[in-house]
Amino acid sequence: MALKPTQCARRSFLYRELENSGARFEELNGSAIAINYGDAEGETAQARKLGICDLSSLQRTGFKGWNMADWLRLQGVVLAEESNITSPQTDGTRVARLAPGEALVLGDYQGGGALIEKLDSTWSMESADGCYQVPRAETNFWLALTGTEAPALFTKICAVDLRDQATSVHSVVQTNVARLNAIIIRGGTAEVPVFDLLSDIASAVYLWRALLDAMGEFGGKPIGLKALQDLT
Amino acid sequence: MQRLSEPFGSLIDRSQSISFRFEGEQVSGYRGDTIASALLANGITTLSRSFKYHRPRGVLSMCGQDSNTMVHVGQKPNVLADRVMIEADLEVRAQNYWGSLENDRLAMIRHVSRFLPVGFYYKAFYKPRWGWPLWAKLIRRVAGLGTVDLTTPHGYYDKEYLFTDVTVIGAGPAGMTAALEAAKAGAKVLLIDENAKIGGTLGYARFDGDGQSGRKTLVDLVAEIANEKNIRVMTDTVCTGWYSDNWLPLIKDNRLYKLRAGSLVVATGCYEQPLIFHNNDLPGIMLGSAAQRLIRLYGVKPGNRAVVATANRDGYGVALDLLDAGAEVACVVDVRSNPPEDEMSSALMHRHVPVLVGSTLREAVPTPGGGGVRAVKIAHLESAERAARRYDSFACDTIAMSGSYAPAAALLHQAGGRVSLQDGSGGFSVHDLPAHIAAAGSVTGTQSLDYVLAEGQDAGRQAARDAGFEVMSASEPRRTEPKASAWPIISHAKGKDFVDFDEDLQTRDIENALTEGYQHIQLLKRFTTNGMGPSQGRHATLPAIRLAARRTGASLNETGSTTSRPPIGPLTMGHLAGRSFEPVRYTAMHFRHLERGAKMMPAGAWMRPEYYGDARNRLESIAAEARNVRENVGIIDVSTLGGLEIRGPDAAEFLNRMYTFAYLKQPVGRSRYVLMTDEAGVIVDDGVACRIHENYFYVTATTSGVDGVYRTMLWYNTQWRLKVDITHVSASYAGVNIAGPKSREVVDRVCDDVNLTPEEFPYMGVRRGHVAGIPALFLRVGFVGELGYELHVPASQGEALWDALIEAGADAGIRPFGVEAQRLLRLEKGHIIISQDTDGLTTPPEADMAWAISRKKPYYVGMRSVSIQEASGLTRKLVGFEIADPEITQPKECHLVIRGNTITGRVTSVVRSPTLGKVIGLAYVAPDQAELGNKIDIKVDGGEMVQAEVVKLPFYDPDGERQEM
Repeated sequence: MALKPTQCARRSFLYRELENSGARFEELNGSAIAINYGDAEGETAQARKLGICDLSSLQRTGFKGWNMADWLRLQGVVLAEESNITSPQTDGTRVARLAPGEALVLGDYQGGGALIEKLDSTWSMESADGCYQVPRAETNFWLALTGTEAPALFTKICAVDLRDQATSVHSVVQTNVARLNAIIIRGGTAEVPVFDLLSDIASAVYLWRALLDAMGEFGGKPIGLKALQDLT
Repeated sequence: MQRLSEPFGSLIDRSQSISFRFEGEQVSGYRGDTIASALLANGITTLSRSFKYHRPRGVLSMCGQDSNTMVHVGQKPNVLADRVMIEADLEVRAQNYWGSLENDRLAMIRHVSRFLPVGFYYKAFYKPRWGWPLWAKLIRRVAGLGTVDLTTPHGYYDKEYLFTDVTVIGAGPAGMTAALEAAKAGAKVLLIDENAKIGGTLGYARFDGDGQSGRKTLVDLVAEIANEKNIRVMTDTVCTGWYSDNWLPLIKDNRLYKLRAGSLVVATGCYEQPLIFHNNDLPGIMLGSAAQRLIRLYGVKPGNRAVVATANRDGYGVALDLLDAGAEVACVVDVRSNPPEDEMSSALMHRHVPVLVGSTLREAVPTPGGGGVRAVKIAHLESAERAARRYDSFACDTIAMSGSYAPAAALLHQAGGRVSLQDGSGGFSVHDLPAHIAAAGSVTGTQSLDYVLAEGQDAGRQAARDAGFEVMSASEPRRTEPKASAWPIISHAKGKDFVDFDEDLQTRDIENALTEGYQHIQLLKRFTTNGMGPSQGRHATLPAIRLAARRTGASLNETGSTTSRPPIGPLTMGHLAGRSFEPVRYTAMHFRHLERGAKMMPAGAWMRPEYYGDARNRLESIAAEARNVRENVGIIDVSTLGGLEIRGPDAAEFLNRMYTFAYLKQPVGRSRYVLMTDEAGVIVDDGVACRIHENYFYVTATTSGVDGVYRTMLWYNTQWRLKVDITHVSASYAGVNIAGPKSREVVDRVCDDVNLTPEEFPYMGVRRGHVAGIPALFLRVGFVGELGYELHVPASQGEALWDALIEAGADAGIRPFGVEAQRLLRLEKGHIIISQDTDGLTTPPEADMAWAISRKKPYYVGMRSVSIQEASGLTRKLVGFEIADPEITQPKECHLVIRGNTITGRVTSVVRSPTLGKVIGLAYVAPDQAELGNKIDIKVDGGEMVQAEVVKLPFYDPDGERQEM
């Protein structure tokens, strides 16, 4: 029997939008994630052109404070010296340095995040002097925008130049998308970019609809997690 | 039918016929035709009527540079018929007439034109003052451009950002070579042109006797550009201005592009100038380039018998093109007395066309009705400004005129560049261009095609180098002699020798204004409105400068020019607005509220339920929701409340400074009211601080105030440098308040790890536990004055929490309540709402909240101001009042408290309490009115005065037994 998002306590703010697009769900991290929309093969091609994928069920966390960098490095985290750069970790987790005193930790597209689990379980108010947990999984919804047309899509909603020549893989852009604060992380490959986009969880429905509207002229469509996994 | 066969008509597709309607009549054209070219192909030469004298007008520039061709298309006024392409079933109407296009009743104005000089309305209608509204109504009816249809539906407009290394504006010969050169250096180039195809003059003008060199150059350059991967071409695109750092707005279709260019090449060309003579605006009189565009681009023969008047070599090319198109050329009139011979003049001579040198046009003779030309009178020039009285008359239906050229330099002007005009020669040059901007082609005054192409290459190399690419050094720009002489401006005794076609300004209008003393070019423009119409002086500014210079004896450069400001071309409100991005925030339970029939209301960017139920029973619904809280159990979504995490060894000290109360000794597991004042002692926010750990407070703030509180906190701690981290978590947690005598019973059903008994979890306590398996922070707070629990859970689980509590409370009669019921309940309890019961000046003592100020700490933000006010005395005070008499008119919020002739305060909150059965409220009164039992008078709707009694707060459950049970 097909999984309904309401069977899980954790629910993406977008689950109704995904249902309306014909999403098929699987459980991941105690939440229902849209695995596909009924056309796995077509979605893989779509992902190469322009796809939008809700990743809100994937693991993520954050840390901030004046001792953030020391504490994370003490836990074995590889952290960039400069802000706005993402460092891939050995388990597939990525750590984006947002500021000298703030980092965002993203799990992989398979749903894993061993490092996140370790950090969350290690951290406590007693042990972390000057490094504080940020509930990123609850603060931000998470989308992936994929495909060769994704930079063109961003030109309609974002003032930052996200073309290949201006934004390299692993770079982080903290900007405004359709009038919402957003964190954009450039991933994927030189040929097929993948942009992780994290923004205000309460504005998820608004931004989802705005993005679908903006991507219409490029033939962009929602894709499931499977298509994203195939792409990356 | 004036349609020509191929090879004429490079823009039209003869295989696709398109029908549309003009003035209700069916007209057909080809795909690629503009409205104007299709109409002319069908012999329709009058497209609209002029602004002031309602004279018939036809094509002038044939490239959207004038207002003659403005028509109404569908619901859109002021569409340029020589720019917009035809589509099937387009409904086109002419503008500015009363009656019909052929018989415009307002054309009678021309008979009184001598009484309507420029500025007449400044002098004629201001007395008597009562008369102006009547005149205004009449003037607005007969003036104006087009009619706005207020029922027009919203169009879909949007915006897009663009980024390039090099931008080239104008894809004529200079622009194309500039783009190619920059692209060869490795730069990404955006080549922009307002026309449907690139090529500029190469597509229609004639550069030699046989007319082949331009077309060959065009084919070569177009092919080269198509093969250059670094060049992106945008046609039908207008750059409407220049802003700092090469920020350029581009309009294409319904989209506004916001372009940031590393460097810029302006190759915008120049505007051919009309000649000035009597009736120079009749349909059939057009610029030479317009005739060439009609022939070459649209395959339309402009007329059957033409006279070409020129001040330059290009007029000869126009005459040759007219001949090639099968028109008869009665003569060429050259204002130059001794024009140089070249291959074009020779070609013309071989085709036996008479050339009248040293002559000019004096008058066009209209056809009956004035809708066209039937002849032209030509006189010999006795001097640059004087024509002989004797004239020769030539029959013709078309006059093509090529006066001189004015640079299309608006972008360069806006960027800080300057244009110098050469007296007498008709030439000009640009200089003082800022860094990262180059100019090329005829906009700089360079005219010869070879030199234009070379100058484009130079500009392209310079632009690439400016954008950081390695190139050879650019060579010096070439200069050639101007190809035009200054054409004569000779006033005609009968007037109608138009300088500005937009505003129907004649030479006498300009001269009269100069006589009146408006000799500064800026004053002249504003008094006459010369150059202020839709074409923005493209054809009118240069003659006005020349007329002013002639009157004052100053040179053209001393006379100066008017200021160019964006937008250069027409810009719709839709383009400026774009797609409206209006972020809206939904709580985790938003759709559950909708499912229950909630009427939603905005709270900042959030949407909140105002009440649940039918709008027709709004008050009953609110009362029922409130009653259920008092008697049973209710649940309200409080996710929109602000949430801030204050963590670090100095967290308590930080709160102690930010808020008026004391927090250093606040026990872990307890919450405490927080009241924030600014430096002036004014209340700006409130909430509660929950101490979760010795170094960790979870602080709530008002929905609309939290962003300001967060910024204020960051600002102060940047100065204080306390060891504290501040995190904004408002959206991270969903929250509900479950309140009412049965709330403990309901929560207990879904919670097994928090002891909810009053002994273990007293009022103002804070606990952590689980509700239906969801991790939650429990707060015992009492905003509505009943036993209640505020539960904060991770946002992603908010909906599941809501579902669990609704299910658990079903037996107990749980029902959701909205913001309105909450406001009612809190008022019964006497709680204030910041910004409703306070204003931009309210201090804690005025709001009767001195109890929330700690007197034992050395500092909090605003302390000094509050202390000063307490020492100097209050001027107002917030009190509770009630009106027991049910017959009395109920006051409303903001109704005034009056004593004698003095306003002493105002009502801030008022409601008829269903619980207490009387009207209760809060109001500011004079301090001496604040004593309990005093009567205050409130002026209600209609001026009636009602009396209320000052009473003790709270109105409901004064001992707090119900909320602390």
